[in-house]
Amino acid sequence: MTSLGTTPSVPSVSAAGLCLSYGSTRALDDVSLRLGHGVTGLLGPNGAGKTTLLRVLATAVPADRGAFTVLGHDPGTARGRHDVRRALGYLPQTPGFHPDFTAFAFVDYVAILKEMTDRSARHREVRRVLDAVGLSDVRGKRIKRLSGGMRQRVALAAALVGDPGFLVLDEPTVGLDPEQRMRFRELIATAGEGRTVLLSTHQTEDVAMLCNRVIVMAGGRVRFEGTPAELSARAAGRVWSSTQRHPGAKAGWRTGTGAFRNVGDPPDGASLVEPTLEDGYLLTLDASEVAA
Amino acid sequence: MSSTVSSPRTKALPTSTPAGESPRRRLRAVLALARVEARELLLQIPVFVVLCVYVAYVGWELWTGGGEDGAYPVLQDVDRATQPESLFLGVAVLVCVNRAVLRSRRRGTDGHFDVLVMEPWRRTVAHLLSVVPFALATALVVAAQFTGAALKPGAVGTGSFSELAVAPLAVLLLGVLGVLIARLVPSAFGAPLFVVGGYIAVVLLLSSSEDTPWLRWLTPFVDEFQADPLPSDLLGRPAAWHALYLVGLIVLVSCAAVLCGGRRTLPAALGLARAARNPVAWPAVGPARLVKAVALGAAVLTLAGAVGQSRGDSPALLAARKQASVAPEKDHTCVPHGRSTYCAFPEWTGRTEDWAAVVRRVQSLAGGAAGGTKLTVRQRVDARYGLSASATLEPSSTHGQVTVGTRWGGNRVPEFSVGVASVLVAGNEEAAAAMCDGRVVTVMWLALATTSDPMASLRDVRIDDSVSGSAIVLAPTHPLEMTAAQTTVVRELLQRPRYGVTAKVKAHWTELTSPKTSTARAAELLDVPVPKGSEKEDKCEE
Repeated sequence: MTSLGTTPSVPSVSAAGLCLSYGSTRALDDVSLRLGHGVTGLLGPNGAGKTTLLRVLATAVPADRGAFTVLGHDPGTARGRHDVRRALGYLPQTPGFHPDFTAFAFVDYVAILKEMTDRSARHREVRRVLDAVGLSDVRGKRIKRLSGGMRQRVALAAALVGDPGFLVLDEPTVGLDPEQRMRFRELIATAGEGRTVLLSTHQTEDVAMLCNRVIVMAGGRVRFEGTPAELSARAAGRVWSSTQRHPGAKAGWRTGTGAFRNVGDPPDGASLVEPTLEDGYLLTLDASEVAA
Repeated sequence: MSSTVSSPRTKALPTSTPAGESPRRRLRAVLALARVEARELLLQIPVFVVLCVYVAYVGWELWTGGGEDGAYPVLQDVDRATQPESLFLGVAVLVCVNRAVLRSRRRGTDGHFDVLVMEPWRRTVAHLLSVVPFALATALVVAAQFTGAALKPGAVGTGSFSELAVAPLAVLLLGVLGVLIARLVPSAFGAPLFVVGGYIAVVLLLSSSEDTPWLRWLTPFVDEFQADPLPSDLLGRPAAWHALYLVGLIVLVSCAAVLCGGRRTLPAALGLARAARNPVAWPAVGPARLVKAVALGAAVLTLAGAVGQSRGDSPALLAARKQASVAPEKDHTCVPHGRSTYCAFPEWTGRTEDWAAVVRRVQSLAGGAAGGTKLTVRQRVDARYGLSASATLEPSSTHGQVTVGTRWGGNRVPEFSVGVASVLVAGNEEAAAAMCDGRVVTVMWLALATTSDPMASLRDVRIDDSVSGSAIVLAPTHPLEMTAAQTTVVRELLQRPRYGVTAKVKAHWTELTSPKTSTARAAELLDVPVPKGSEKEDKCEE
């Protein structure tokens, strides 16, 4: 197990030794984590195992080995799995929709699948979540007539309906324009108040702006678990500015000022600059590649 | 989205709070989903259109009375006639419920929905239940059809609840088949291919079932060729067994769909194929043991129904049919009306007054002793071949006996008039069948003169619906042949005032009813121009 950084004192979700293979591919390799209230970002390159981890935690697939609990429920048993699903809100990586349904009807459909049986209470809840994601004006519109951003918000409303205690969001901001992304961040931040949110993303800005904790995965393993500040701190003293890309830098790129920003082991006398979350992330990935 | 988004956590719903599994809550969730799916199903264009057409068609039939024969329904035929009309609704439901089950897969929501509280097998149950309202709608339509017929003053006979249940059961069966097909073949082409393949299979089955009639009973509906209604106790249709067979099949198919809904594929559902099991999936949860037990019970029911409906006609039934065909007087109830007696199968005694009215009308025009002859009107039917074949009734050689069939209304009324007139003129049906002379003119005028529209009645009783030239004239037993000359004379007579012709018929009755009287002579006696070539046409075939 790889576990780094500080951990929440009262975890809502905890996993230990999760392993899962697809054929000869090890998608999860001894993953352990502890999530508390608030938004936890899950960073990692493609194929790192982020989506597989989310699917396991969302009880979509069972792990080959290991165990985890969500809000005290063990999904290893049918009853426990049922209870986990009751407490779960899940926004898949590529959410599907029933295009002929209205936004209201689709979220209502999901609410029924969450066993919200009281019709008037359910409708109130559907209206509430559609209002929360800013879709109350278009709730009677068929989904096929909504824009991509609006559809994504319908998917978020479907995840939020029933007030789940554990929200799993798999790259919810992919494909959204900057304005929509900002709106989504706002929504996720609000959703993270009082509940546990696990947010998988490629966007380090999402993590920097939203998350109180961050997990970095690579090669099916957890490479970092801590606060965003701790991840940024990993790059302290390892980011410098120069007029040319330094050949020894792990990564380097020209910035808007014309100077090069280098990440890696700085030469003597380098002009060090303040590290960002992305710098810490890049160095963590680089370290994991070296380890692999 | 506004920036004033409130925290969802602060407005928790009691319904969403994790709680212990309550069977009642789980059932209510399934029913809620079934309601939504049923509404979605209704909004599918094929289902909506077919349902509207079905209801409109039946409504129109009820409003208009169902045509000329519709005023005199025979209820043991009406019940069965409700079945084929529902087939189109069943097929539409099959195709659309199949698409509804596949919706999640087509739209990529399966992965999401599989982690929600309601398991796939319960979603399958909801889809199965979503078909029930359409079966209930069919039951309502069938009930309206039958009640409308039963309330008509001319209705006779007895309906069978089992026959009436077949249409809704068939809709239900086709609906649950649509769900099962979706669970077995997760492709949009599955249901249409099944419909086409099923149609071909049924056609082949029916075409090859002459020697094996039990094969026909494996299909949802068994429509039978039938010329004349039979008394209900002679039908011999195993309707109750067939209903049991359909019920068993519905439950069996539903169980198979539920088992597949939990496991995705039938081999996996039955635990037969390891390879079919998704290696990365939670084990299916659900009352598999209970469902398998119910499926076993349903299989027994289906088998019992299939065996029961395949036993064929019992010797007692065959004997009863033979008796009703060759010696109907043993089964008849006779009722006197005026001078004549009317003998009918017990279910038809209510129609004797209608027959008596025709006899009175025809006899009032006859001359000589025929005007006061005591007739026996006897209802006959050839039931020896059951419902699958029709036989022409042989003319009776009994003097003064007139045959009446089991149908009434429409063309059957003037046909019966022809039968009555034939016996008044020729003495009995056998002798009337051999008529090929001037008496045909008398018979046809007697039969048609008192009808409300004699020319229309003439057209109706002629097989080619003509009012000129030679033609066959329908009668309850043997048909009459009218030559072109006889047609000309009858047409002329029917266009004249009845009272004038009546006086001439009564005055020349003896000669007009003589086998020696030619058509030309009859025309002369009745003061009608003699058609050319009538002598040649009158010659009876040797």
